[in-house]
Amino acid sequence: MSQEVITTKDGLKVRKLVSLKPSTSEEYREAIMHRVDHFSQKRDSVFNNMVENILVKGLELILETKIRVDDLLGDQKETVQDFIEKLLFIGL
Amino acid sequence: MYHIDGTDYLKQKYYKKTRSICPECHEPIDAEIVEREGEIWMQKECPDHGYYEDKISSSAKYYKWTHFKKKDKDGNVEWQFLKDGETNPPDCIGDDPRGCPYNCGLCEKHISTCSLALIDLTNRCNFNCNFCYANVKQAGYLVEPTLEELDRIMEHFRSKPIPPPAIMFTGGEPTVRKDFPEICKMAKDHGFKEVIVATNGYGFQRKNGKGLEFTKECMEKGLDTLYFQFDGINNETFEKTRGIKNLMSYKQRVIDNCREAGLSSIVLVQTVVKGITDIEVGNVIQYAIDNIDVVRGITYQPVSLCGRSYSEDDLKEMRITNADVIKMVDEQTSGKIGIENAWYPLTTIVEFGRIIAYLADVEPVEFTCHPDCGFATYMVVDPDTNEMVPIMDYFDPIKIVDFSNRFWDKIKHKEKEEIKFFENILGDFGKTLDKGVNWVDKQQLRARFLAGMLQYTKKPGKLMEMFTRILLNGEWESISAFTHGTLLISSMHFQDAYNMNLERTKRCIVHFGVAMPDGSVYEAPFCTMNTLHRPAIEKKVAKKAGTKVMEEFDTTKGERVLPEQEVVHNGGTKKEE
Repeated sequence: MSQEVITTKDGLKVRKLVSLKPSTSEEYREAIMHRVDHFSQKRDSVFNNMVENILVKGLELILETKIRVDDLLGDQKETVQDFIEKLLFIGL
Repeated sequence: MYHIDGTDYLKQKYYKKTRSICPECHEPIDAEIVEREGEIWMQKECPDHGYYEDKISSSAKYYKWTHFKKKDKDGNVEWQFLKDGETNPPDCIGDDPRGCPYNCGLCEKHISTCSLALIDLTNRCNFNCNFCYANVKQAGYLVEPTLEELDRIMEHFRSKPIPPPAIMFTGGEPTVRKDFPEICKMAKDHGFKEVIVATNGYGFQRKNGKGLEFTKECMEKGLDTLYFQFDGINNETFEKTRGIKNLMSYKQRVIDNCREAGLSSIVLVQTVVKGITDIEVGNVIQYAIDNIDVVRGITYQPVSLCGRSYSEDDLKEMRITNADVIKMVDEQTSGKIGIENAWYPLTTIVEFGRIIAYLADVEPVEFTCHPDCGFATYMVVDPDTNEMVPIMDYFDPIKIVDFSNRFWDKIKHKEKEEIKFFENILGDFGKTLDKGVNWVDKQQLRARFLAGMLQYTKKPGKLMEMFTRILLNGEWESISAFTHGTLLISSMHFQDAYNMNLERTKRCIVHFGVAMPDGSVYEAPFCTMNTLHRPAIEKKVAKKAGTKVMEEFDTTKGERVLPEQEVVHNGGTKKEE
């Protein structure tokens, strides 16, 4: 990790962090999956719910598509968002 | 720093009347919260002991942002905080004429439910920190509830209409109790979803495999999270705060044992004291990032000035506010976690939480505390740069919060009034049909809410998968998995007699529970317990401390035997090149 080490007059090492890259990023990336594995051992875990798992995969695809569309929309994005919001609030 | 309604409100000076207590006699008195030279101050006058003032926030700009509600029709800003919580029935009749905060127990004036239940397991400790209230040697008596009494306290909390989802064991040092793993199991059996221990690490750091064995046993019995006392990464810092030499290797053993046991939810807790630990704020962040596979969060706690009288000059010298901590984080991370856009008061997500709880039919977690209680930000790894960034890179937080607030405003009536279309026509026969109608209604609301959330989401990935699961099921498992992909950094400022604001006290969501000799359970908000009620309550439940208990630990030096330690300046222990 990039850092600037400063020693105070009391001899303490103090660091000014200039980058926040974790040295254990690989373990960190797997931390979510370890937790999911931990819960999945229970039969009634939400992570063993087939319907939800399919739904989550579907929503992931929708999100990826939405992000690509956002990029294409550029400055028009906010106008489209406002329009969709209006649709979502209809009848409420 | 910005708001969905712009920044015009920043031009108006903050002013609000409230109630507080006299730092000397602790009698309730009137107080004003005012803006002065870019800061927020509390001013109050006791008829017997004179005038007092104390800094509430070192950033008026940030304070006003967290307190802004709306402009009225004449364009005046309303500095009002109306996120009152759902309330459980009161536990006692408030008959003290002084009113709040002297009617704890809890009384009918309290306007939040408890989100985190606290139980002091013991006032025994292997440390002897001079600022700590829990110390069997100094007190001369033992406070240690029996298993039966603990069962009674847990039952008290969990039997409420809106029970707290989480429990934290405090002390003293909770892990000096031999039955600590059993107590964790008891908490799980009572239905607490998150079992937390506030610890200096004693039980988890023991050598010769004992610490590892203890960690595994606690985890198997139900312990989820360590709320781990962690003042910095320099031995000298611990020596100043805890009076113990070479403490970093002790702390590192806790981390190592948790890692080996698979306990991957540690929150580093730093008490921020001016001139002592404040320079280690950035160090703790780096330590957390270096141990990100097991560290889930950091909580900074600006020191609370309980226990003795402070002069006006002392107070000005020592007072640290949440805004100061946020500035320190900003400075010590070179602006990577900036004051302007990364931090939000805990109360921000109240409506979001209510929507999830309603749609998923799960117990709500109500963060309806006062905005001055705490601020937080989530850090996540950016998959493109591998660097940790505030979660705002994944979401548009202001838009998500605004959408949630408006959405809840539109649907909250449904929580209390279910659709009874067929029941009105067909009587009892129609009830089953109405169940179906209500189910369909919830699904269409869920779809709308999901679509709204996805609109303001910027990146895909595992983290977003967990976020989607939270939206779908609201289950603790999903929340836990989500937090395992993040680092939560928060600052929690507990009140003392100088800055106590009874508007905060009434909204406290962290409550102590104490089993009283008459068979009842006394429930009190965290800050009033520590500032006002603790001595009297402890005397009622105190037990005689025998010589064995008094001499159990050599608290003049902390633990009995302290190991020598090699190097502490690189994330705890020296790493091989």
